[in-house]
Amino acid sequence: LVQANPITRKCYAFDEATAHFFAKDAEHPYVQEKPFDWIRGYQVGGKSLIWARQTQRWSHHDFEGPARDGFAEWPLTYEELAPWYSHVERFVGISGNRDGVDGLPDGEFLPAWEMNDAERSMAGRIEAAFPGRRVVQGRCAHLTEARPEHLAQGRGKCQSRNLCYRGCPFGGYFSSNSSTLPWAAKTGHLTVRPGSVVESILHDEATGRASGVRVISAATKTVTEYFAKVIFVNAACLNTNLILLNSRSKRYPAGLGNDHGLLGRHVAFHNYRGSLNASLDGFADAYYSGRRPTQPMMPNFRNVAKQETDFQRGYMVFFSAARRGWTRGQGAPGIGAAYKEGLTQPGPWGIYMMMQGETIPRYENHVRLSANRRDPWGIPQLVTSIGYTDNDERMIRDFLAQGRAMLEAAGARDIRATDDRRNPGLDIHEMGGVRMGRDPRQSLLNRWNQFHTCPNVFVTDGACMASTGVQNPSLTFMALTARAARHAVEELRKGTL
Amino acid sequence: MNRRTLLRHAAQLAAVAALGTLPHRTWAALPRPEGWTEAEAALLDGIGDTILPATPGSPGAGSVAIGRFILRMTADCYPPAAATALRQVLARVRAAAGSRNWANLSAAEREALLVEIERRPPANVEGVAPWRHLKDLVLLGYFTSEAGATQALRYDPVPGAYRGSVPLKTGDRAWAT
Repeated sequence: LVQANPITRKCYAFDEATAHFFAKDAEHPYVQEKPFDWIRGYQVGGKSLIWARQTQRWSHHDFEGPARDGFAEWPLTYEELAPWYSHVERFVGISGNRDGVDGLPDGEFLPAWEMNDAERSMAGRIEAAFPGRRVVQGRCAHLTEARPEHLAQGRGKCQSRNLCYRGCPFGGYFSSNSSTLPWAAKTGHLTVRPGSVVESILHDEATGRASGVRVISAATKTVTEYFAKVIFVNAACLNTNLILLNSRSKRYPAGLGNDHGLLGRHVAFHNYRGSLNASLDGFADAYYSGRRPTQPMMPNFRNVAKQETDFQRGYMVFFSAARRGWTRGQGAPGIGAAYKEGLTQPGPWGIYMMMQGETIPRYENHVRLSANRRDPWGIPQLVTSIGYTDNDERMIRDFLAQGRAMLEAAGARDIRATDDRRNPGLDIHEMGGVRMGRDPRQSLLNRWNQFHTCPNVFVTDGACMASTGVQNPSLTFMALTARAARHAVEELRKGTL
Repeated sequence: MNRRTLLRHAAQLAAVAALGTLPHRTWAALPRPEGWTEAEAALLDGIGDTILPATPGSPGAGSVAIGRFILRMTADCYPPAAATALRQVLARVRAAAGSRNWANLSAAEREALLVEIERRPPANVEGVAPWRHLKDLVLLGYFTSEAGATQALRYDPVPGAYRGSVPLKTGDRAWAT
């Protein structure tokens, strides 16, 4: 399993118990012009079964920053999206504290997960040593309390088991399978077609609109065409790009909506390369119970309201403290009863700290269709040409220095900084390629996620993103989706779509 | 055969079938890989029992059939050099026990023998450190076995919640997961 999946095996959630939730490398080839670890889940529910479930709102700074820095312009404001964040949060169930942080707006929260004693101490010491920086508990899509709207979905409280990646039988975390798909099925209007490979979006020259979707059966390779008034293309970022690039018609010879060659361009991701490990003395009589699906986090404190550093944009910081377990005995000397008994006790505290950095969508960072390689269904393979820049390198250096300083202030010792030099993609936060924007010459989608030139096609997954922010992205995708879906329904009712 | 006897036999057969489907609670369920003898598995059990012996409240590594675990993992999950490395440790143990034979050594003598090997372990085999390989697998196999996880450590399959501040009292064991 490991040898057969040199790319997918790098994912934190991939193992024997979860392998069936991942697309296998050999079955779904793509061309890495530059190394890109593309992690995919092609089952019903997709990556919602294997996501890490951290959910933070963007702030107005995140929507305004790209224009300030001159690389992109969002066609909507935080205030416009805020009610849709609320809509999604209430339905999905997001745990968190109301922290009052300007750069990380509060939402409609279920009770937050607790910090442990060591983390609370660290948080206080970091905030005292670095005025303006905040340490707050992570926000995540786990039901710390099942409210009526969640019980109605057939979901229950998270049981703190940490078996999420197998698919939770309690519906304790949000997945399409636990929540939105059964909810949609209740309408009686949902049809799910597993094993369908979307080949392209069909365009009708006579009407100037998209008319449907061409689908190839994964098993039999039979081709079927479906027709619809409105089409949402949400195949997860890079596959959305692939489908649209492959949607070539007389009107759109270079792919749907691609009159300017920008389709597949400005792809960005999150920079996870930097991390630190450390030890923390004390707290010998402090412990915890249960397994927690989130950890303390620090809202971005770099270049928030104005440019302040030698790199553009910023990063969030996540850290956790936990007592070491029996694995500390591996490689340590000892034989006999005292050695064994020692390992059955909680060990000293260890700390892990990591970054989640914004990368800048660049024209050069792109995906395109291979001219000569096709996948087993005859669809051109995707070529990835996405890399880091000097800006990313400077950001990593800054995080590792700031992380070290903050850990020292928190009382940590034996601090070890790492740049794991991972490939883009392993963050599984790829975004862009079909970006939103005000200017049709600079973007593909309008403020409602409709193609500027083909308004009955919507894209509301990561492909629509004009920038990446520093937050975990899924909550924003969901809010954009709910907002766009409402818009589509309203337009249909008015007869204008 | 009358009807009552038939029923009794059927019930006994059902009971045997049910026993057959009960999960094994130790690594004894793992088939021994080709090329390894039961004596070698038993010697590994003895080594495991010396590194992690029975203590009040939990059994030793030998009683979870750690030898089978070490052999199976070495065969399935490591490069071939690991098997060579493992044989070197066993050869060293046998040589150190000499004519007295490991089986006849007291627990204290076994411990002293392994302490000496740990102090001066066999040289690496193509990047595999023989002693470290064996000891790491003793720990992995023991603390992830049912007895190791639930008796030597504490295991709670469904915690129900996370509590961030739990005072630790003397003797409280660590969570298995």
